[in-house]
Amino acid sequence: MADVLTEIVQPDDLKKFEKIYHEQLYKNDVTPKAQFEYAWCLVRSKYPTDIQKGIILLEELYKTHEEGQRDYLYFLAIGNARLKQYTKALNYVRSFLVIEPGNQQVITLQQTIKKRMEKEGLVGMAMAGGVVLAVGAIVGVGMAIASKVKS
Amino acid sequence: MSAGPYNYSYIFKYIIIGDMGVGKSCLLHQFTEKKFMADCPHTIGVEFGTRIIEVSGQKIKLQIWDTAGQERFRAVTRSYYRGAAGALMVYDITRRSTYNHLSSWLTDTRNLTNPSTVIFLIGNKCDLEGQRDVTYEEASKFAEENGLMFVEASARQMGNRGDNVEEAFLETAKKIYQSIQDGRLDLNAAESGVQHKPSQPGRNNLSADQQASKDNCAC
Ligand SMILES: Nc1nc2c(ncn2[C@@H]2O[C@H](COP(=O)(O)OP(=O)(O)OP(=O)(O)O)[C@@H](O)[C@H]2O)c(=O)[nH]1
Ligand SMILES: [Mg+2]
Repeated sequence: MADVLTEIVQPDDLKKFEKIYHEQLYKNDVTPKAQFEYAWCLVRSKYPTDIQKGIILLEELYKTHEEGQRDYLYFLAIGNARLKQYTKALNYVRSFLVIEPGNQQVITLQQTIKKRMEKEGLVGMAMAGGVVLAVGAIVGVGMAIASKVKS
Repeated sequence: MSAGPYNYSYIFKYIIIGDMGVGKSCLLHQFTEKKFMADCPHTIGVEFGTRIIEVSGQKIKLQIWDTAGQERFRAVTRSYYRGAAGALMVYDITRRSTYNHLSSWLTDTRNLTNPSTVIFLIGNKCDLEGQRDVTYEEASKFAEENGLMFVEASARQMGNRGDNVEEAFLETAKKIYQSIQDGRLDLNAAESGVQHKPSQPGRNNLSADQQASKDNCAC
């Protein structure tokens, strides 16, 4: 089922933005825009090595391009969640929510990641410090419960 | 969840497009959660929402991609247009510039979707009548000339015009469903934006299972 953690970039889109990035790289003049667009496609790849590459590009942007930091945090969370590095993903989400506590899009991402962990049996981690529920009771119940267990 | 049975028979993919700040995310949120977000930050990239609706006795799951209107996201959000069965194109009735940009949104949509994609024009924020900058008649004429369905709506005010939010999403689905019925929309085409889920064997008479695995990962 498609959602922000499972939809996959079209290969020709990935290639298109890769080409632009590499052309700029060759001239030693990479714009944040080209790097961001390429990274955004990479973290939506079905290949973990691409996602990892996207994460590195986003980390670099995060350090060097202050203007887009909230975007980079968001996609760093997505990239890490897709690699099943949930703890890291949730840390990025939390850093974001420190700056913008009420951001519904990011709260939804947090819920999506936690639901993912529950499905994969990582409930104990998702629930750390929160309410403990039986796995069976959680799976498939969706938003209503996810929002209750929001830490 | 590759092992059904599904509690819906079709999935329709929608996109929501238009300038930043016109209320795309609020419309989506109103439709999926029935709540208004008074202070909504700009979308980062794309947001996603779903709701199951019913058309002619068939349960249909809408998978809705709400795209960011800010310019820096434009290039990549274009890739979400592909395979959309429905496109909700939104402007803000209190800001003329958002209306003036519609032709460019429409060109993009036409270029990146397929001929059967249903395009619905929404003039949002019609609760702000006092600040109106685009008349109903004018937008209505634009819609007619371009073969679009059209309503003015408000993501904020329920009752009255707020119901038009619901209408826009549902009428789009009805039109898509009609296209399937008359065979204008080919379910087997890779980018029709529609997936058929044979939920209750025997109850659906359309050919089964095509596409079920296309972008359907096992989660
Ligand atoms: N009065 C009124 N305000 C609205 C309505 N819909 C949205 N708004 C407000 O308009 C602002 C922008 O709404 P959003 O839904 O974030 O706009 P958007 O189109 O998603 O913007 P981007 O994500 O940047 O593309 C928010 O502050 C909303 O509260 C409406 O129907 N009436
Ligand atoms: Mg938005």
